[in-house]
Amino acid sequence: MKKAQFNFVWLFALFVGGAILVFAIFGAMKAGDTMRFQSDTEIAKSISIITDPMQASFGEGSFGKITFSQETRINNICFSGQFGKNDISVATKSDVGEEWNLAGGATSIHNKYIFSSEKNTGEEYYVFSKPFDFPYEVSDLIFLTPKDYCFIGAPGDIADEIIGLNIPNIKIENCTVADAIKVCFGGGSNCDIEVYGSCSSGCNSAYDSGTVVKDSVVMNYVGNLMYAAIFSDKLIYDCNVERLMYRTAKIAEELVSKTDLMDIRGCNTNMKADLIMWRGLTLNADSGGIVSLRTRANEVERKNDRELCSVWE
Amino acid sequence: MGIKHEQSLTTSKKGTSALAVTKGRPRAVRNLIPKHRKTWFPRKRYDESTNLKEGTCRKTWFPRGQMKIQQMAFMIVAVFFFFALVGLFFLNIQLKDIKGGSAQLQKEQAISSLKVIADMPELNYDSSETMTVDEDKIRVMSGNFSADYDLFWPVASIGIYKIYPAFNAVKKCPASNCNFYEIYDNGQTNVKTYSTYVSICKKVKELGSIYDKCEVGKLVVGVNINE
Repeated sequence: MKKAQFNFVWLFALFVGGAILVFAIFGAMKAGDTMRFQSDTEIAKSISIITDPMQASFGEGSFGKITFSQETRINNICFSGQFGKNDISVATKSDVGEEWNLAGGATSIHNKYIFSSEKNTGEEYYVFSKPFDFPYEVSDLIFLTPKDYCFIGAPGDIADEIIGLNIPNIKIENCTVADAIKVCFGGGSNCDIEVYGSCSSGCNSAYDSGTVVKDSVVMNYVGNLMYAAIFSDKLIYDCNVERLMYRTAKIAEELVSKTDLMDIRGCNTNMKADLIMWRGLTLNADSGGIVSLRTRANEVERKNDRELCSVWE
Repeated sequence: MGIKHEQSLTTSKKGTSALAVTKGRPRAVRNLIPKHRKTWFPRKRYDESTNLKEGTCRKTWFPRGQMKIQQMAFMIVAVFFFFALVGLFFLNIQLKDIKGGSAQLQKEQAISSLKVIADMPELNYDSSETMTVDEDKIRVMSGNFSADYDLFWPVASIGIYKIYPAFNAVKKCPASNCNFYEIYDNGQTNVKTYSTYVSICKKVKELGSIYDKCEVGKLVVGVNINE
């Protein structure tokens, strides 16, 4: 064989061999990416499923913990508009190139209200829930956070709730955890978040309604939405509150139809007009006007309690 | 009419190479090739591109190296196909895993949804009791009202049966003596159902007293099956 031919054969073999090698590496990387995407998508779906028992429904609340084997980012994107949705996606940390891999497929959750930051990073996530009644049961609020919190100056009932739920990432008073987010009730110094209660009538505590100030951003709350304002970003909070208000209105609409059925079988109620009005007030309400709606909600609740045939229990 | 022969060949002399194009008979060409090198072999083929008349052909000479390249090319193609087939095999296994995982997640979601759906304020009778649905609410939800909730439900279908007294035929509500409330159905036919028992209650006023009248029911939810 001549030298020129020998060289060409080798060059050809090297070129094709190299091409196959590059193709194989590219294929392996793509396959790895696909498997990671699959795994991240499954985790996101699992989060949706494992938060099902978090819906306290008839309880005072519930607590759970999600532990990952490595640092994981949970993205929470909220969409308002009618019932809206929370899109949950998961991204894992990358060892090469960009710090975080692209997030897996998002799982849309229409029937839950997940309050968290838009991007949460950590290995251990704490999930707990509290019911939201306005004035009837609307839904359970689910709070998701990987951070530690220190509640300073919390009123007795809030402290009791936290102790009762045994949430390990929330400490009351003597806080020794480094980098814990300081939540001060009624203001204070070196606070990351400040909670101000403004409830003056028909309340169990001044903190039944009020405002949460976080990074100079003010969020109005009523009832258990206080926790939502503490644990989530303003964007997520406002969006989820709009979704909750829409659902409140839809339940009012359903209860209006229920009053008709009750009247037909002789179990009369006078709640219909109040529920129609309540539906109108809440249909397009947002977090800005939620404190003023609370007074009206209390009135509707008191009226329902007085009824022999109450529309809701 | 003679036969036109055309040869292209390469000669080399210990490390040097040169291209020589010679026209004439093959024998003359063969004379140019050193006798100790038997690396050349003729190949006849008809060449349409040269517009030659019938019986005219062009003779091309292929070196053995070129043959080896051809062999290697075939080998590479074979190796490529082999790995492609192996890849497809693994991809198939992987896809089965994905389908299995998806079905498992859907099943888990359906089972956990049973309690979630029964306790939703849209169906629940008393917020302090679990697995108890309000007959008035399910009657409202089984009407046109539930159209707004299409995207809201985490499952493919929701239905509630009254199972006592026992019935022979399913009678859809609203109707007299009906026993089945269809809350939601996304229209999918390939659905697997999961069920649980619930209490179906309503507030009744009889002889001046108000009480909760409850019946035994069965909540059935369906999940899509991907095949």
